[in-house]
Amino acid sequence: MKLSDDQLLEAVARLYAAYDPAPDDLADGVLARLAVEDLEDEWEQLTLVERVDLAAGVRSADDAVTEGDDSTVALEFAGTSYRVLVRISTVDGHRRIDGWVVPAVPMKIFLGPPGDALSHTRQSIESDEDGRFEFSAPHSGEARLWLLPQTSDQSDDSAAPPFVTPPFLI
Amino acid sequence: MTMHDAPGPTSSALYDVATDAFRRWRAGDDAALDELVTVMSPVLWHVVRACGLDKEAAEDVVQNTWLTLVKGADSVRDAQAITRWLCTAARREAWRVSKASTRTRPVEDEVLDARMPLQTSPEAQVVTNDENSLLWAALGRLPERCQKLLRIVAWEPRPDYSSVAEGLQMPVGSIGPTRRRCLDKLRVELGGAS
Repeated sequence: MKLSDDQLLEAVARLYAAYDPAPDDLADGVLARLAVEDLEDEWEQLTLVERVDLAAGVRSADDAVTEGDDSTVALEFAGTSYRVLVRISTVDGHRRIDGWVVPAVPMKIFLGPPGDALSHTRQSIESDEDGRFEFSAPHSGEARLWLLPQTSDQSDDSAAPPFVTPPFLI
Repeated sequence: MTMHDAPGPTSSALYDVATDAFRRWRAGDDAALDELVTVMSPVLWHVVRACGLDKEAAEDVVQNTWLTLVKGADSVRDAQAITRWLCTAARREAWRVSKASTRTRPVEDEVLDARMPLQTSPEAQVVTNDENSLLWAALGRLPERCQKLLRIVAWEPRPDYSSVAEGLQMPVGSIGPTRRRCLDKLRVELGGAS
């Protein structure tokens, strides 16, 4: 068989469509992200209700821990409908963020510097069924979390307003 | 299979749909943007993945590309050029991210993995016909630059050569001849395998 350039390229395109297909929710993710930007002014602002500095190496005395290097900070934010717990920890020089949203509703969560309208550094993630989420490699510095509840088909849209945390330091 | 339902990647129908949706969106029809996003996001996925980004980074770049469009739609002067505008913006951003992350992320491993037709992966199970596995194997024997270039031009028939050249670190003038050479090589590989 002798394929023309166009036929060959058509076959290559089909091949990649099969072997490396775009995620099913790619367009939905884009639309959610655009909605986030759209709603930037209408976000419910959560307030910081508690901040706890957990001393490093408390639980494991065996670990040699350099003070000020490995540390954990727990933050709790609250709004009218949701509470968000965030734990920022540094282990072996690797920073990570774990969070929980209560009540547990599927959410798209964005992490990024405050006030940047168009960020190349903003990261996105989805919370799991239990309302947990994590960012395994957050950028350091000031940041905020934008949380966008994913309304399911059966619930009414007005039930889940998007919300944002005040800036905090990573 | 789904390829028969949706307009094919290189079919002009897709570009007509995109152009029409873009026009309507600019004329004030907000829902048309959803249409445009739905039609073009899979194309941008392949454009971005061809630059060697992992899946997570690829998704972020696709999102950022749409943000850039929404914030700067005025800079798209010609509705007919919307697909090219999107693909070029996505590719520029993808090369940038790719360059910035190769130091910290094992992108190459993931790219290699993606290239292996693993029978256990769900994606690979979708593809059972011989034509695809032969083509996959033949592509795998081409130089990496050829693989990237062919994936780009397969999904975007008339790409902006300067953004392609920049990413592949080739002179703009050599993209056309390289494209032809890569296609010839692929034909040879396919011929040898049958």
